[in-house]
Amino acid sequence: MKKKNLSTEFYLFLFLLVVSVFLAVFAKGFYTVNNLMSILNSFSYILISAIGMNLIMLTGNIDVSTGALISVVALALAAIGKLGVPFAGLILAGMLMGAVLSTLNGLFITGMRIPAIVATLATTQIFQGILPLTCEGSIYDLPASFTWLSFEAKLFGFIPGSLIICVIVTAFFLVFARYSRFVKKLYAIGNNREGARLCGIQVDKTVVICYAIAGLLFGITAVIVATASQRCTTTMGSGMEMTFIAAVVLGGTSPAGGSGNLSGTIIGALILAMVAPAITYLGISSNWSDAVKGAIILISVVVSGARYLKRKRVIAGAAGGEA
Amino acid sequence: MSENVLELNHIVKTFPGVKALSGINFNLRGGEVHAICGENGAGKSTLMKVVCGVHQPDSGEMVVNGKKETFSNPLEAYGKGVSIIFQETSLFEKMTVLDNLFLGHEITKRKGPISIIDYAAMNKKAEEIFQRLNTDIDLHALVNTLGMAQKQMCEIAKALTFNANIIIFDEPTASLTNREVDALFEIIRKLKSEGMGIVYISHRLEEIFEICDRVTVIRDGHYISTKDVDKTDKDELVADMVGRKMDNYYPKAETPIGEELLRVENYYDEGFLENISFHVRKGEILGFAGLAGAGRTELMQSICGITGKAAGKVYLNGEEIHCKNYVEAMNKGIVYVSEDRGKYGLIVDLSVERNISLPQLDRLKKALGKLDVKREKELGEQYIKDVGIKAPHGEFLVTNLSGGNQQKVSVSRALALDPVLLILDEPTRGVDVNAKAEIHKIISELTLKGLTIIMISSELPELLGMCDRIYVMKDGYIGGCFDRDEVSQEKILSVALESGKKAGEVQ
Repeated sequence: MKKKNLSTEFYLFLFLLVVSVFLAVFAKGFYTVNNLMSILNSFSYILISAIGMNLIMLTGNIDVSTGALISVVALALAAIGKLGVPFAGLILAGMLMGAVLSTLNGLFITGMRIPAIVATLATTQIFQGILPLTCEGSIYDLPASFTWLSFEAKLFGFIPGSLIICVIVTAFFLVFARYSRFVKKLYAIGNNREGARLCGIQVDKTVVICYAIAGLLFGITAVIVATASQRCTTTMGSGMEMTFIAAVVLGGTSPAGGSGNLSGTIIGALILAMVAPAITYLGISSNWSDAVKGAIILISVVVSGARYLKRKRVIAGAAGGEA
Repeated sequence: MSENVLELNHIVKTFPGVKALSGINFNLRGGEVHAICGENGAGKSTLMKVVCGVHQPDSGEMVVNGKKETFSNPLEAYGKGVSIIFQETSLFEKMTVLDNLFLGHEITKRKGPISIIDYAAMNKKAEEIFQRLNTDIDLHALVNTLGMAQKQMCEIAKALTFNANIIIFDEPTASLTNREVDALFEIIRKLKSEGMGIVYISHRLEEIFEICDRVTVIRDGHYISTKDVDKTDKDELVADMVGRKMDNYYPKAETPIGEELLRVENYYDEGFLENISFHVRKGEILGFAGLAGAGRTELMQSICGITGKAAGKVYLNGEEIHCKNYVEAMNKGIVYVSEDRGKYGLIVDLSVERNISLPQLDRLKKALGKLDVKREKELGEQYIKDVGIKAPHGEFLVTNLSGGNQQKVSVSRALALDPVLLILDEPTRGVDVNAKAEIHKIISELTLKGLTIIMISSELPELLGMCDRIYVMKDGYIGGCFDRDEVSQEKILSVALESGKKAGEVQ
């Protein structure tokens, strides 16, 4: 029998533990309620979208338009929020808009047979391009009904509402991932597209639905991000997609599709949510935070790659083998 | 014999520009193993894809278990009891065995308003099936941790999860070792005794005589004959398949054998190769036998500098060489032709001539680095003629050639490099009988021109027929060496299968 490899999640958890202890010693003030709650808030919106991104990446696709999509949804939310629409309306509208825009991505990819990265790169430009045409820079002076989630919705007065949404969403998807036939199909498509088709899976339809579901989640993130202040700019979501993709990859999901699971993504999101505040509390310039994120991803990919290095020596395996 | 479980009457299928099947008749009884044979491109796989719903026939009728059926996708076929075990496994490598068995038809249970996957029920059914197949594969292991034979077992188990009574095996033994083949046959016999109808597609005629009851031959999409296996013989089948009688599969030429060309001493790579020493003389065809995974490919690729990093000495013409990469080996005249021409050999979307010229574009350049297209064309035409590639012209795309002809392009490419030593890794894998004989003929002619050849093959008759000497590898070391006049299939197998004992240096 082969020696069992410890899972990616285990290593990540270990890493998280070490970092936490390190921060306790060296980063004064890191473990204050305020800071922790702020981290948990960003963890929440990162994770919610990373779950969606994880579903997409399981199928071997990707979405680089998420940041722009969130910008669009956030601005649209601000526009209707200005009319005094309550939180329930905002979150429904956000999810709906997210789903519609993301479904467009799915349709481009499957319908026109465009590789996901190219299709979503194009939609990124379209989404970003529309925004300046609709408003000048930002929508401001938003009412209290709009910022209810971040200012007032706090459990026991200090746990952010976003975390509660995140816990509900995550719990749902943990169960969904294990017990739904749908998620099995996503894994199957990412593993072997043709094989999935031969198993009677309607590949294109499944991929589009996958994008739609991810879109719902991106919409929720947009709500959390948009309602954080009384001003909504046209670049609210810019660059976020990279953080989501990073959380997913860090969590052990193969960018080639077909493997990886949600628990890894959860830890990945937590680590990434901690980077920026950790750097600030360590007294390092915040300009370093992106570089550190990049380094963490690089190291994790190299380390997990190294575990498989010794496996294969011959370039041409037996027929049917994996490349 | 019981009644027919599957009947195909006059199945016709055309693809744009090609009539793949023109009126095929076929019937399968419950409790029999019925072989379909024919050359590559004869239409065997197409026919089976029609049966299991991957393709839809243009005309003709299909009767499954007494009812006329048309399947618009494989899942419908599965639902009616027809399962296919594909040539290349269609498993999902990074998912568990259990997930694979039930993919697309998971057992579910109602939990309130929604239905969820019932793992307990799936586990139970899978265990029953594995017990029936007498295997102990871990249901929760990832498929990519399994061996080829185990993967195939999963495919069979998958078919059984559908309660199939018709199972189609498409070249099931292509990547199995002899022992695994025996185990597979054991299972096929068991399924047969349970009354299932089994369709068996294979290139290896020996297998048909071992396991099958009847055999149907198709050629160029036409139905040729159906015979009882015990009332026919190999020659008759081959004659049906190629449309004429073939007298010599292994046209080995008598070549003068010169002095030593390559000598390898104490070659060692931890975990893969152990203390290997061998030599090959000019004009020789040297065979390497062994089970899949015995280290033959590793050895050759390492000598050629493809995988690099191994201890030991390699002498070419008495001079010590050390190839750090494959380009160095090529420049010294050592050329390797991979067993997997699709993945590591040809670029199928390019033309025949471009494929041949690709490794030596450097040698084909004119002023300012411009490619000498005229020279390239000549090269292409020359090899199409010399090697007998069945392509209308050099600009013909490789993807449109049959497996045998693609292999000829692979060999041509190697030859265009003017090698002194040609290493062929499974030169006839996945190639039909006719093309096989042609490739053997080419190999034989090459030695007449003074070329030296090392041939890795898993087909013993091929090695016995073609080689002057045969080394047998086992678990990364050389277990024995036989001369042409003293070797036999039994001798090779006894070395290849022998376990534990390590032979010393064999010269």
